[in-house]
Amino acid sequence: MDALFSLMDGFATALTPINLMWSLIGVTLGTLVGILPGIGPALTIALLLPVTSKLDPTGSFIMFAGLYYGAMYGSSTTSILLNTPGESGSIMTAIEGNLMARQGRGAAALSTAAIGSFVAGTLGTLLLTFLAPIFVKLALLFGPAEYFALMVLAFTTVSSLLGSSVTRGFASLMLGLALGLVGTDVLTGQPRLYFGQMSLLRGIDIVVVAVGLFAVGEALFMASQPHLRNAEILPVRGSLFMTRSEWSRSWKPWLRGTFLGFPFGALPAGGTEIPTFLSYTLEKRLSKNPEEFGKGAIEGVAGPEAANNAAVAGVLVPLLALGLPTSATAAILLAAFEQYNIQPGPLLFSGSSTLVWGLIASLYIGNVMLLVLNLPLVGLWVRLLTVPQPLLYGGIVLFSLLGVYSLNNSVFDLALLMLVGGMGFLMRRHDFPVAPCIIGLILGPMAEAQFRRALSISQGDPSVFLTHPLSASILAVAVAVMVVPVLVRRRQGARR
Amino acid sequence: MKISGAGLAIGLGFMALAGLVAFDAASLQVPPSYARVGPQVFPYLIASGMALVGLRLVWEAVREPIRVHVQPVTDWKAVAMISVALAAQYFILKPLGFVFSALILFLTIAHAFGSRQYVRDLVVGLVLALSAYVGFRYGLGIGLPQGILKGLL
Repeated sequence: MDALFSLMDGFATALTPINLMWSLIGVTLGTLVGILPGIGPALTIALLLPVTSKLDPTGSFIMFAGLYYGAMYGSSTTSILLNTPGESGSIMTAIEGNLMARQGRGAAALSTAAIGSFVAGTLGTLLLTFLAPIFVKLALLFGPAEYFALMVLAFTTVSSLLGSSVTRGFASLMLGLALGLVGTDVLTGQPRLYFGQMSLLRGIDIVVVAVGLFAVGEALFMASQPHLRNAEILPVRGSLFMTRSEWSRSWKPWLRGTFLGFPFGALPAGGTEIPTFLSYTLEKRLSKNPEEFGKGAIEGVAGPEAANNAAVAGVLVPLLALGLPTSATAAILLAAFEQYNIQPGPLLFSGSSTLVWGLIASLYIGNVMLLVLNLPLVGLWVRLLTVPQPLLYGGIVLFSLLGVYSLNNSVFDLALLMLVGGMGFLMRRHDFPVAPCIIGLILGPMAEAQFRRALSISQGDPSVFLTHPLSASILAVAVAVMVVPVLVRRRQGARR
Repeated sequence: MKISGAGLAIGLGFMALAGLVAFDAASLQVPPSYARVGPQVFPYLIASGMALVGLRLVWEAVREPIRVHVQPVTDWKAVAMISVALAAQYFILKPLGFVFSALILFLTIAHAFGSRQYVRDLVVGLVLALSAYVGFRYGLGIGLPQGILKGLL
């Protein structure tokens, strides 16, 4: 029950007026960027990094975590009313939710999404509270070989599970890993891939890459596609108070969504997309009225919306306990830890327990704030959807310029931003997922450090990764994650 | 059989990048004490990974046309406008200062996205650029290039 005591201490931290304020700012900003299409939590946190570098880390992380949760709440509103998912975790919500809105049941869809997010967010945070300390104990058993294996697992899962094909996922990952090589090698001081540019010696900042891929690449892509520019906004109709039958059809999908979403976030399995797809399919199969799916079934909103919030709570477990990011936003959060010279992992829970437990406690509070922000106040947020796209994208790129320039006050970073933005445009156009690249960039140098540490302990014997049972089994899972989807696809192809 | 040109180009591009990474790794001077697990090992691994991905992409491009995630119409003019405005920031940000440089960027993007309400765009862009400048300078103590506004703000 140590976790309970620590959590109580955490509440003492989170309930101070200043931290309550950070939490409120975080959840409000999160809802805002969740609702606005074209800007998400990863990009927003990346843009905030230069600003927060001088702030207190506890307050910053409380804000960031609130932002991550808030984006999941907000994006459901966009999916339901605009039929364009606000974030990738709300793609499934867009299907049934938008149909419900077309039938004048938009308010009920918003309600089940918000309450489902609250239920899943709170249960997910509860699981996080009790699982994170267990993960920490596990992490103490890990040596460099195990950490390296774990990172390889994260690489293969995000690459093979995100996006349209395993090849494209790996292509994106390799780009990120290559970008991570640029700069001075920490151990030997050798410059790598710096092409005679002094500015490249300190490496490529993850903020430049995240902003280039998410903001510039996205803006270029949207500008190139005139037909994507205009979408119809549906008004909120119906009552926000769900009927008895809507409650009874929602609560089971909420719980199932939670228990699907959390493990997918926690095991390095690539964030929020997959559990929402699974939840949708599961609800369709279990529903007593499967014929309603495709015509506005409330279960198809309740399940996936719960799943994406639970997945966010799940993502925080490996991030805090092991320092392992499993989504693009988590990768940026890891960069934020680096900025403060805080090392996530077992030491975080002993060395910075105020920060961690304050952060976890703030999530309970943030969830309550978000329920209030997103249900009674939904009418205010809906107006954001009327921001014209030219102004929205103009603003996003303007803030990108601001964020990237103020990192190092260097116009060289702006040239890099343009290059990465062009790359992001090509990736978006040719259907390459972006998240593996971000995760490869931040995790690549860490994986290399663990790899070399493990090999120097074993005096250069590479069998060390296979003779340690723990690292061997993690690597086996990593290979399975890579091979199994290909085999399944091939079998399905053969059946057709 | 139709071969996807874009897919082929991307695949070959990956192989070229793999070559670049490997070439750079080969040119590293590795101190003998690090000979086994020096700074060149990981780049070689990544280069092989990139080469494999490149091969696979070429194979997919030849076998099945690349699944392009777009509709037939592409507004290349908009893409070019935004690219030029962004690339120009490298040259104009310092001489012009943040406010005007960012304003030009904002207006170009709004135009590329099809807006023709120039007055509205100008007002919104100016408010955003100015408030960002003032907020950073006086709120956060982060100075942005003043450029032609030097002495005024």
